[in-house]
Amino acid sequence: MKSFKKECVVMLLAGGQGSRLGTLTQKIAKPSVPFGGKYRIIDFPLSNCVNSGLDTIGVLTQYQPLKLNSYIGDGKSWDLDRMNGGIQILPPYQRVGDSEWYSGTANAIYQNMNFIDQYDPDFVLVLSGDHIYKMDYSLMIKYHKEKNADCTISVIDVPLNEASRFGILSSDDDGRITNFEEKPKKPKSTKASMGIYVFTWNKLKQYLESDDKNPDSSKDFGKDVMPLMLKSGEKMYSYEFKGYWKDVGTIDSLWQANMDLLGNDGFNLSGDGVIYSRHAERPPQYISGNSSVKNSIVSEGAVIFGSVENSVIFSGVRIGEGAKIKDSVIMADVEIKDNSIINNSIIDEEVIIGPNIKIGYPRGESLEITVIPRESIINNMQEV
Amino acid sequence: MNTLGIIFSDMQDWNMTELASHRSVAAIPFGGRYRLIDFPLSNMVNSGMNKICIITKSNYRSLMEHVGSGKDWDLSRKKGGILIFPPYAVGENHGLFQGRLDALKRVLDYISSSKEKYVVMSDCDMIYNINYKDVIRYHEEKNSDITAIYTTTQIEKNSSVHKIIYEFDKDGRADDILVYPVTSGTHNVGLSTWVMNKDFLESIIYDAIARNYKDFSYDVLAKKVHSLRIYGYKYNGYFAHIDSLQSYYDHSLGLLKKENLQSLFYSKTGPIYTKTKDSAPTKYMQGANVKNSLIASGCVIEGTVENSIIFRGVKIGKNASVKNSIIMQHGVIGENASLDSIITDTYAQVTNNRVLLGYANCPFFIKKFSVV
Repeated sequence: MKSFKKECVVMLLAGGQGSRLGTLTQKIAKPSVPFGGKYRIIDFPLSNCVNSGLDTIGVLTQYQPLKLNSYIGDGKSWDLDRMNGGIQILPPYQRVGDSEWYSGTANAIYQNMNFIDQYDPDFVLVLSGDHIYKMDYSLMIKYHKEKNADCTISVIDVPLNEASRFGILSSDDDGRITNFEEKPKKPKSTKASMGIYVFTWNKLKQYLESDDKNPDSSKDFGKDVMPLMLKSGEKMYSYEFKGYWKDVGTIDSLWQANMDLLGNDGFNLSGDGVIYSRHAERPPQYISGNSSVKNSIVSEGAVIFGSVENSVIFSGVRIGEGAKIKDSVIMADVEIKDNSIINNSIIDEEVIIGPNIKIGYPRGESLEITVIPRESIINNMQEV
Repeated sequence: MNTLGIIFSDMQDWNMTELASHRSVAAIPFGGRYRLIDFPLSNMVNSGMNKICIITKSNYRSLMEHVGSGKDWDLSRKKGGILIFPPYAVGENHGLFQGRLDALKRVLDYISSSKEKYVVMSDCDMIYNINYKDVIRYHEEKNSDITAIYTTTQIEKNSSVHKIIYEFDKDGRADDILVYPVTSGTHNVGLSTWVMNKDFLESIIYDAIARNYKDFSYDVLAKKVHSLRIYGYKYNGYFAHIDSLQSYYDHSLGLLKKENLQSLFYSKTGPIYTKTKDSAPTKYMQGANVKNSLIASGCVIEGTVENSIIFRGVKIGKNASVKNSIIMQHGVIGENASLDSIITDTYAQVTNNRVLLGYANCPFFIKKFSVV
């Protein structure tokens, strides 16, 4: 079947292991980690694409793809089941003569050049599947066209003490990038790359091909391709993004990003830019006569008899009488039985706790987040 | 499953003027996130049926919008799927149909060309959770012409009820059928659902054409109770009959009883499906104080909610108090407003500091889009 031209094809990097998320990513890839009551992390870049009018997306998977593949399905939850374009999962595959895993972010795109070429695009948007934010990519593509750039990198201001965790850019008054360093020890600016790139496809193709021939390259965008493009004098621009953006690569940042959904000042899930997701059909949530729910978000199908404060409660969670949940993230279909107390924790999906179990320490006593792995059954204090 | 589904979207609209003034009975919102049609539709889908048509009469825009392509019920299919019949004129039949048989006459072509062996025919005024497979098995066993699903229940006071009442002999065969009688006491009440062989349904329609019959209940059920083999299949679980604003109110708040919630939404038959809206989880602010209520997603709650049903996307302001009430989707209750025994239709707004009071046996209704 012949495909028709698309101005821009999106390549979403979703193969990372996310090892800093510990047991949360033991059985699933980082982009499929649950977030915000009813979503998975990948819903954010996917919904941003749809809300930006981009409908042709390749999802590059590698690590533990089962959950992710079945979650995405044919893409209809994001309105991405399309006649021309739509969403396609791109795992590593065997070719005549050689086959290899995706050895780096650039290599993953290199191995799927045929997928991109089908649509004869002018631009390729590269995204990663581990950030929580709402962004209109069409504005960034417009900026890329206005600057007649070869590559545009989206940047956000980060605190100086955190800058060494990111790729850090310096640019001139026009936005043209003058310097790029991946995770520098002594950062020269506070403009961090968000891992969102727009490339002019012809240009990127050349660099992917030459990078593939370089045996010393680690085949990574930040470490290899960007510095080489910059050194060769290509037109690279930074695009400043102002708004909420959170890398949820660690337990602490994942917990914090969930907490940012509470109250009025953090990240607003409703409002402009609907975040679409795939979820099971559930009845409304039931809050009983003796329960109390404060400063929290609660999803469909939850049944609450206990008390909930400063917490994120996913779909289908059951909280028994006398149970107390505070400063915690309780993922889908967890059952917390009567009189159990949960503080400062992330409880992964389908865990059963209690009755009369205490998990985690109050925020005042310890800042450490307790994580309970998926499908655990905890009914006796020794196990905690 | 080898069964065609026929759903009538508004057989009872004359009786629910407030809720059905601008929509079909089928599209009346219920239970926080559903519309009445979701219940028969989900029953059919959960029973393995995948060819379903909906016969509508008037005001069907919100129904069509809700059902769409049918994909939320897994009914967007190459084979079968869902089909909505707006009013349809055949030959001399112009204008709206007069009764169920008249409606069926106009879709005879569709019924004749269907390959299914059985038909399940259902209205939207009865809410319950059943697997039709069991009913069809019973229908076969009894070799009946029509199998009516019923339940045994108490009718209070001597009042005119919008129910069909059956009396059965020892074998379960109907020997008397009363349509909308004035009565009280314990009765076998029909759940507005019938199972037939498709060929038999066609023969009834031919007969209706020849004799100018229009009404299924009077002209077939009541009149032919002795000549046809009409059997009853008894259903024992939760059911709600929505036939007035009062019964709508009572049954809505009835969902707050644990056993009702359990048997309607967590039955083994399967979940109740509805249109997906992708609303965010509901946000409870610091001042939220929610007791014994059903809350759908996409709401922001800053005040008190007690014994109430809150639909998707409702906002309840600071220090507002909502008790014994039903707030349909996108309702906005302003700061310090106080509501007791109120039903607000969709997109209604109650501005700051308003006090609205109904009574348990006389709930006060606020129209769609109105601002109080």
